[in-house]
This record gives sequence, structure tokens and C-alpha cells, in this order.
Amino acid sequence: MPVKPHGVVDNPGPLCTVQDLGRQRGRRAGLTPGGAMDQRACLWANRMLGNDPAAPVLEITLGGFALRFLAETVFALAGADCAAKLDGRETGSWRAIRARPGQLLRLGYSSSGMRAYLALPGGLEAPRAFGSASAVLRDELPGWLGNALRPGEELRWRDPDRRTRLRQVPASLVPPVAKLVALPLITAFEWLDFSAVDRERVFQAEWTLDAASDRIASRLAGPALTSGPRELDSVPFVDGTVQVTGDGTTLVFMRDRPTIGGYPKLGSVDPLALDALAQARPGARIRFTRADPERVRRALVQRESFFGIRRTESGAGAGSSRS
Amino acid sequence: MTTGSEVATVAFPGPASALVTLPVAADRHGIARVLTLERLVRDSMVDVRATIPAFNRLLVEGSPATWEPDEVEKTLRAAAAACLRGKPPVPAEGDSVVLPVCYDRELGPDLESWAAGAGLSVEEAVGLHCGRTYTVLATGFAPGFAYLGDVDERIAAPRRPSPRRRVAAGSVGIADRRTGVYPADSPGGWQLIGRVPSALFADAAERTARFTPGARVAFRQIGPKEFAAACR
Repeated sequence: MPVKPHGVVDNPGPLCTVQDLGRQRGRRAGLTPGGAMDQRACLWANRMLGNDPAAPVLEITLGGFALRFLAETVFALAGADCAAKLDGRETGSWRAIRARPGQLLRLGYSSSGMRAYLALPGGLEAPRAFGSASAVLRDELPGWLGNALRPGEELRWRDPDRRTRLRQVPASLVPPVAKLVALPLITAFEWLDFSAVDRERVFQAEWTLDAASDRIASRLAGPALTSGPRELDSVPFVDGTVQVTGDGTTLVFMRDRPTIGGYPKLGSVDPLALDALAQARPGARIRFTRADPERVRRALVQRESFFGIRRTESGAGAGSSRS
Repeated sequence: MTTGSEVATVAFPGPASALVTLPVAADRHGIARVLTLERLVRDSMVDVRATIPAFNRLLVEGSPATWEPDEVEKTLRAAAAACLRGKPPVPAEGDSVVLPVCYDRELGPDLESWAAGAGLSVEEAVGLHCGRTYTVLATGFAPGFAYLGDVDERIAAPRRPSPRRRVAAGSVGIADRRTGVYPADSPGGWQLIGRVPSALFADAAERTARFTPGARVAFRQIGPKEFAAACR
């Protein structure tokens, strides 16, 4: 017997999908990792409720979202501030909030930042494929790995009755939305095949985020780097791979990236910097800085241990659930 | 065969990942060596989170907490040297997936120019295309897109000078000594010589599980009637 829904989508806004920390399994077969664009905000949203760090959440792009609660529950918001209101009363963000049945949560359009995250106790119930519930909307995967949420869609979460304290993220830990995003770059792949002039330009230029950016890639407007090699065999990508296409456009690959690619690559950006890039608005200024891979690695260790992330090939999971 | 002077390169494209490039051709013998390397890596390294073989390369991703670049490099160099010793492993003779293809100029607009470019009749060229079993050299571009090698050199053909904006799902293409089937409608620059009934490609999960590096794929010629029937 199907469980009664705990909430119903009143308005999904421009784009709302179920996301978690993405899928490792299937990458060998060409399947994109996917997952929450701003993983830090997604992790905080789950942490406030004591959820598994890999619990599925809603990723709400630009706001404009509304959800009617059908059960008494708590929920947590993080990421872009969309002036959320519960039955007309401002809730604030980066905090957990209690809702009663019948109440309407409404998010306005975000004034800064691109994506808000809504976590629910125990995580959203959502179909999983290859170890993850992350929806992938790339054209070649119609409906297979989930869809965008539609008006009237019923939502259920695992533990609606869980009563947690209404925690909030300390203000000092709430990441500010950067007008200038620094992307530490680990130079690798075909880096040395670019001319010395182009290599110098990468770090000297100020880039801007193009409006054609999406969950697959952030497109950077800036100098055309045309000195790279042509006609390469496709090479496996890592997270944050920076690729220069045939016309000299620079792309930073995001969560729905391909697994291999044949255009020349400059290297990869610090995977933790992708969170800030995911929140940057079109027109944001971007600079590449030189990364020390060892420092990047240590920061990743810290992130994973702080949030209790245990990634395995069967998906991202956690040690124990806190509550 | 490889000589002693050709050694693998090991690079570190991310904070806890290594990319091994073997000094071998990016063909079916190359991927066989890479798959041997993958097995050695999985047997000898702890906390491997993902391995991604493609052509003559292997990406190895570890856990940031236990990643020690010098150690990783030593391990990977030893594994690469071991997999380069001796004759190339014979590509696995496991079950092959057999895909029916309708070689028809309506479904494969480059069919006739491709055969003519090879100095062959369409029949001869098609006979060579479906006359051997291919190995998946890499998967990517789109989920379920497999780069298959090696095409008989007599029918190898360059990419089109400019890619088509839309290639229909199921289209069979050739580029250099590789062939492949477009799993979904997408832009594409390969020469198109026929089509697999797209219903065969509808199940993305199965497609993803089937066409992994090292898998074996063969083509079987079908006529327009059988193609139409399979598409219904």
C-alpha cells in the first residue's frame, strides 16, 4: 500500500530535481557522476536534520518553488537565499524549520546565488539507479535517471516523524556568494601542449561566467586559447576538468559532465571550488589561481571527514546517521 | 611488441587521481593491455574508488585520505611494466553482442561515398564491416556510446569535415579505424553507413551495462523489411 504523501509540489519553479552526492558506479561505462551542483550546501542541509550526508534532497534552481506540506515535519534550507516563506512568514535559510500539515513553503526568486537545497528528515524517497537518486536531464537520457519535478507531484520522505532540534548553520560558516570566484587549477593533461603565451593568459585573464552555463559545464568568456593540440583520442575526465573546445572556448565541467573527452584540457579545478562556481550568476568574474594538489587533497579529506562522507563504488554513503 | 625504451607515463590530473598512458597503440591490443593493468591496479591498491579505461589509458581514482602520490606512482609504474611484458593478451573471447544493421543509403547517407572512397562495391565494404567482431575501446561521449575497434583498414574513413547537427539514434558510423552506434539523437561527425533499429537501444540501463571497455560487439546485416519490422 503506498504511503500517504508528506508533501505535494505546488510549483517546481524553473527547474527542480532530486539530487544527492552523485553516482560512481556506471562511470566506467560512460555514465555521468551527476549529483548536487553545490555539494557543500546539500551536505549542510542534510547535516542540520541529522541525515545521511548522501540522502536525496531537492535542488531548486533560481527559486520560484512552492511546496504544500501534508504532514507535520521539519525541513532544512541551504544554498541560495530565496527569501523563503512558510504561510507568508519568512523562514530564513541555512536552518531547520518546523512545518504543520497544510502549510505552504514558498521560495521567491534568488537575488544572489543560483541553487537552493531543501532537505527532509531521512531524505527524500526517490528511485535509485547505479547507487544514486540524482536526476540527470541530459538529452540522451530522457527520463531514465529521473525527471524535473512537476506541479502536483507527490513527495515522500523516509522519516517524517523524526523530531530534531531546529539547528542552524553558524553565520561564520555560511559561504558568501562570491562576485569574484577563484578557481585553483591543477595543471595537467595537455597543459604543456598549449603555448607559453596561452598558459600565461590562463592565470592573468579575468573571465566571466557565460549565461549558457548549465549542470554539464560552466562556460567561461575570456581569451580564446587556440594553441592547444587537435585530434586527440578521448581521455578520461576527473571532477572539475577544464577543457578548451575547437573555437577556443574554455569550459569547466560540472556534475553532469561526460566521463571522457577529446578536446585539449588545461587540467582540473579544485573540486571544492565547484560549489562556489555552481552558485555564481552569469556575468560573475572568475580567475584561475595555481593550485597545490597536496593542499587540495588535504581539504578534500577534511570535507569528507567533517561531513562523514564515505564514498564507495556503489555510491556515496555515510558511516552513521546522526539525529 | 613493446621495447624496453617505451615506458608508461603516470600523471596526476586531480588531487587523488592518476592517469596512466601506456606506450601502445589505441587499438584492440592496447585496450587489452589497459584492462590487464586495471586488474593489477585493483589487486594491488587500497581504496580505489574508480578505474576508467579508455583506449591506451587508465584513470585511477583513490580516496583522498589514503592517497600518497609517490607510493601511487611506484605502484602504477610497476603494474604498467608488468602489463607491458610479454605478448599482448588476446582480447577476451567472451560472448559478443550482435547488432543487426540495415546498410541502406536512406539510413546511412554516407554509405555509397564511403564504399566508393575505399574503391569497393557497397556489398564488399559492408561485408568487411560486418565480417569481424569488434572490441569496445572506450565508452563515453554519451552513455552507451562505445568506440569499437579495429575496423578493417580497407574501409577506414576520415571524419566528415563538419559534423552533422543531428544524427538519428541507432546510426552506425565510421571514423578512422573505429566504428560505433549513436545511442540517441545527437550531433555527430562520423560517416554514417547504416542503422540499428533504435528499439534495441531504448533500454539505457542495459546499454550502459553492456557496452563497457573490453566488451565484444559484432554486426549482422539485415534488409529494410526486417529493419522496419524491428522498429515497429
